[in-house]
Amino acid sequence: MKDRDELISALSSNLQSVRPAANANAIALLWLLASVLYVVLITHWFGPIRANALTQLMSVPRFSLEMIVGLAAITLAALAAFRAAIPGALTPRFRTFAAFVMLVWLGGYVLGLVDPTLEPSILGKRDHCYIETALYALPPAMIACYLCRRLYPLKPVNTALRCGLAAGMIPALYMQVACMYIPSHILLFHIFPGLLIAVLTAAVALPWFARLRL
Amino acid sequence: MEKSAITSMAQLCRMPLASEDVSGNDEERWSALMVSAQSGNEPDYRFLLGELSSCISRYLYRRFGAHHFIEDCVQETLIAIHQARHTYDARRRFRPWLFAIVRHKAIDMLRRQRSQQQLATAQQELRMTDAAGQNISPMEEDLAQGQLLLSLSPQYREAITLTKILGLSNAEAAARLSISEGAVKVRVHRAISKLKQLLEAETA
Repeated sequence: MKDRDELISALSSNLQSVRPAANANAIALLWLLASVLYVVLITHWFGPIRANALTQLMSVPRFSLEMIVGLAAITLAALAAFRAAIPGALTPRFRTFAAFVMLVWLGGYVLGLVDPTLEPSILGKRDHCYIETALYALPPAMIACYLCRRLYPLKPVNTALRCGLAAGMIPALYMQVACMYIPSHILLFHIFPGLLIAVLTAAVALPWFARLRL
Repeated sequence: MEKSAITSMAQLCRMPLASEDVSGNDEERWSALMVSAQSGNEPDYRFLLGELSSCISRYLYRRFGAHHFIEDCVQETLIAIHQARHTYDARRRFRPWLFAIVRHKAIDMLRRQRSQQQLATAQQELRMTDAAGQNISPMEEDLAQGQLLLSLSPQYREAITLTKILGLSNAEAAARLSISEGAVKVRVHRAISKLKQLLEAETA
């Protein structure tokens, strides 16, 4: 008990004021907005998007829905990532809901293997879409990890995975309008590199987060 | 069985909720104290840590029983609270924030349990048990206070008690339980996962 009293005295003496961290949702949405803008700009910088993509977005409701669900899944993944970095902020219900929406979105592409949303076509093919997806996702993933590291992620690997997933899925989603639309190609060359980024981010962030004494 | 006996048994087996450790007044007071601590108010912070340490001790004792690692866990949690104090948002409730840290530290401590000192204590306990020809040691009796551990199945409880609380190695625990070392590892891993789930469920 004496030790505990000494510890409390040590922790409270010369107490510095701290700036309360900004709201996790606000950080997540700002990060998402900046990341989406960055991915859109850099994708256009390195090549044009599929010529008929915008027309398809306007005229094929299922394609529009697929993109909206994708954006919702990424938004929820980003919110979950930043909430995971604040103790007690990520509730099991929200975590489950975010995972469910992500699975629904990705499940849509699996369903597309037998019933594609758009007529499969190689129109708009980008030669290195898988490399682009992975490379474009890396900076947002690292920034997300940096921001989360400034908070207090109790489960660092889990948090880094969520950051990587949210970041990896942004270019993966945008490739649906920037590259050719064939469900097998989407799963293998857009979604898979995005998922790989999630794992890579966790691997890279682990020693980085380990320096925090959590 | 009589109704009163059933009720008392249900009360005995019922897991205390995290909310039972914290009243609504505590929640509001702690929130206000933490906001004050964030702006650098030393007396408020000292008072807050003092109250939190009692609450955390009570919470852990009720779930894990009286064990040597509880005090370490309380202190580790206080340090974590200190490091994470900037993440407390006054617009959110204090309790989920606090107990997320407590839960994390408790499970973390349980995973890391096993120092030489504990091993020596455990061996001494085992010798005492063998000499007296009893089935359970005094330290194991202490477990009865830990209602969370009581909610584990006997297999998991035995495994986690021997390795993480009495401090035996996996091989020693395996010999005592007459199972393989691998089975001990699996039981301990599952027991910790189960404890984590139980703690999360009660504070959710």
